[in-house]
Amino acid sequence: MYNINEELKDKISYLNEVLIDKYKDVLSMDKISFKEFIQEKIGPIIKLEKLTKEELANCAEKGGILGVDGSNNRMGGAYPHFVEIYQGLAKSTLHKDKPIYKTDFYTPLYSEKEELPLENERQGEESIRKYKLSAIEVEAALGGIREFNPYAIIMDGSLIRYDIECFDKWMELRKECEEKGIILIGVIKDIKTSIIGEALKEDKSLDIKECFYDRELLYGLLEYGEMIAIYDKVAKKSKEGFTSLFMRSSQAPTVIGMDILDSQKNHLEEMARLVLTITPKDSRGVPMWIDIVDSEVKIPDKMIRGLLESYLDRNILEMFFISERDKRTL
Amino acid sequence: MKVVGITTQQEVYIGSKDRNFRINEFLIIIDPYQGDLMGEVVEAQTYNKYIPLNIHGELADNSVIESLKSIGYNIEEDTIYIAKVRLLNEALYPVETGSDVRIPAFHEVKDLMIKSSTDEGLVLGIIKNTDQMVDDMDEEFKNLLYTFEEGELKKQNDIPYIFDIRSMHQYPHIGVFGGSGSGKSFGLRVVLEELMKLNIPTIVLDPHFEMDFGQIGDYMPKGEVESYKDKFKCLQVGFHVGVRFEDLSPQDIKNLLDASSPLTDAMNNVVDILFKRNDSYNSFHNRLKMLVEAQEEGTMDKINMKITEAGSNLEREGWQKRKELYSSYDKICPYSSVRGIIWRLNRLENEGIFSKDIKPIEEGLHMGKLIVIQGSTRILQVFSTYLLNNLYHKRREYKDALYKKTTADYFPPFIIVTDEAHNFAPKGYNSPSKSILKEISQEGRKYGVFLILATQRPTLLDETITAQLNTKFIFRTVRASDIQTIKEETDITEEEAKRLPYLRTGDVFISEALMGRTIFARIRAADTTSPHTENPFDELKNKSKKDDEKFLSIIKDKLPINGNDFINVIKEIESDTGVTYTINAFEEKLEDLTDKKLIKKEKTPFFNIYRE
Repeated sequence: MYNINEELKDKISYLNEVLIDKYKDVLSMDKISFKEFIQEKIGPIIKLEKLTKEELANCAEKGGILGVDGSNNRMGGAYPHFVEIYQGLAKSTLHKDKPIYKTDFYTPLYSEKEELPLENERQGEESIRKYKLSAIEVEAALGGIREFNPYAIIMDGSLIRYDIECFDKWMELRKECEEKGIILIGVIKDIKTSIIGEALKEDKSLDIKECFYDRELLYGLLEYGEMIAIYDKVAKKSKEGFTSLFMRSSQAPTVIGMDILDSQKNHLEEMARLVLTITPKDSRGVPMWIDIVDSEVKIPDKMIRGLLESYLDRNILEMFFISERDKRTL
Repeated sequence: MKVVGITTQQEVYIGSKDRNFRINEFLIIIDPYQGDLMGEVVEAQTYNKYIPLNIHGELADNSVIESLKSIGYNIEEDTIYIAKVRLLNEALYPVETGSDVRIPAFHEVKDLMIKSSTDEGLVLGIIKNTDQMVDDMDEEFKNLLYTFEEGELKKQNDIPYIFDIRSMHQYPHIGVFGGSGSGKSFGLRVVLEELMKLNIPTIVLDPHFEMDFGQIGDYMPKGEVESYKDKFKCLQVGFHVGVRFEDLSPQDIKNLLDASSPLTDAMNNVVDILFKRNDSYNSFHNRLKMLVEAQEEGTMDKINMKITEAGSNLEREGWQKRKELYSSYDKICPYSSVRGIIWRLNRLENEGIFSKDIKPIEEGLHMGKLIVIQGSTRILQVFSTYLLNNLYHKRREYKDALYKKTTADYFPPFIIVTDEAHNFAPKGYNSPSKSILKEISQEGRKYGVFLILATQRPTLLDETITAQLNTKFIFRTVRASDIQTIKEETDITEEEAKRLPYLRTGDVFISEALMGRTIFARIRAADTTSPHTENPFDELKNKSKKDDEKFLSIIKDKLPINGNDFINVIKEIESDTGVTYTINAFEEKLEDLTDKKLIKKEKTPFFNIYRE
């Protein structure tokens, strides 16, 4: 069997200790008073009910729900010898046979425009890749709006990501949604914010120096179906025009986040209830529809490889995109 | 429907988004390079990637599925259907993945499904899961039969299964296997009905007294079934038919006696010594009796004395004869053994076996009738040995004479049918009837004598015979050892063997050499019913109801009956009807009727009064 390096074991034990030490104060906090703190500083905790059949039917009548997700596959080795394939999918619950796919690719070996700021090539390359993925999703969403005119759109991930990564396209989508009255939300599976952590730090009565993240603070705190509607003043996204909430959408103790356009704030609770309704109780908390769209937009690496092998000349493929690592057999 | 995944020359997977597959259905794969390929579904599955079988992971619960449905998305529509299809004939190359698949039309499968016309073959049932191919089926094959589904008669909606009886000339003998309640006996009944329709001479050995075809099933639509009354004959051994003693060989005699009660070695010996060719029952019986009488005297002197003291010539001659027998056989035929033989012989005689012969059977066969021979299993074993030997050799002599260009009386070809065949030809030990069945199984084909052997324990049936059964009907079988035997003896596949314990009553796998593959069929509803179909518990209920009614009618005009007056009432009843009750029994019966609320009982301080 494998020989485990003693030092590695020690390091991992050390990590365990460090984390316990860092979090012991916070994690030992009284659940009730912590909830009170949140109610006061962050936002009201609201118990959500699932949507009724009639409300759901109403949803369907007004155009159904559009789920949007994207995927990227990378093939090749290190910069610049790789190619990334992006695929965006918008799928309506009402028109499941007409998914809207958008695709794009990126390789540093070829650029369509002068996108690369020469002085900082690598950083620019990173942002192009992010731009491409976000843009492809937004394009798919736009396509979906024009095709299906849905009641609401659920994007996979925070809305702020689009604001940052592809501002121009994002504004187009935002404008169109606001004009047509289509509710736009983003569902965040892994929340990375530290809204509560910072509030704790600021609170002078508590002696907390370090900043904790919301993920660990909220772990197991909310009951199934509870949400925290975050005050705009504490949320950092408000200036970009978003309103957010945390909610526990399944039996799993982790919470998910949700963003909505601030202009559509009055739909916040309704959308939270929608998310709760279409999330299986025993799942990890992701709305089923997002999971379905996600599973359909993903392309297996094998298939990408097959596509490249079929449609690229063999010498081109070998010359540019087959890394030494791909040929390793051991 | 498309071919999916990795394919071979023999097997492919077929996927469909909207059509579920059924096991044993036929499909045509349109291979763009090899043309149309016919295959049969051997496994059917469905799968929905959003509703996985995942015990620990997440499951799309019902409320979410319902909710998604409400906003327009039906997750169940994402179910895909997968079938494993085995090609009937191996393809030259692996089947092209992505080939389209379609349902065949009747004319494309006709040669595979139907090997005989309806008036020349046995219309035994339907081939399951063929209903989608009947649209362009020839009229000849429509509306031939009914099936039973869930206790209700159903019109034929599939391709009929017609057994080509003529093929038995090439592939002789049929085995019918299946556990009790699997539909085996009904299958046999349907086979026999069809044999009668074709007027094929048939002998049925019926130890269960169930093969009576006189009663048309009350479930059959009126007027659609022709009576079988003139086509069969039930004959009981010892009552209608028996053994002609003069035809018996010493071995036959021993078999017969053994069936009456097992013989010891010494008794066998006695028969060998004392039985002479062409003995009649009387001559053999007399010889035995005189020897015993002589032995009872004990010594030669005493016998001599009897001779000298004889009062008449007749008596003297008699004792003279006894003396001869005594001197020749006393040493080698012990008294007790001779007595044993006499005792057994008497018993057979009393059963009437020797008073009849097999003429009615022969006549029946000549007329193309179905002859049902009834008797207990033991008697049938022995009688059948004699009977089958006799008939088979008659047929054989005729055929051989034809070949040798000499003359012999005509004797028709015939079929021998028996249930519980493992009793007649058991594996591992000898039974009188086994050798003749074995002989017929091996060479009966040449002479046009065929076997249809049914058993619930194929494992117990003689292997040489099993190996000769070219067609097998396999009904539900639960015993692992029998399934194993069936797997060894037939061409059914592993998948089919796995289904054996779960077959519905009346569903059957037919493994037929002519077809070259196994057919999944359902036996048609029998036109006639067995006399044993009344449920014994219904019988009990009806009987007690009848008894009550009878008793009630007797006492009706005697009511009310006072408890102190039983004796007079009983007397009256006795004089009216001749039936006598004891006081206790009478009171008990009245109480019983009271319990059943048929009469009322009124209590008074002195006695009970029974009123209407």
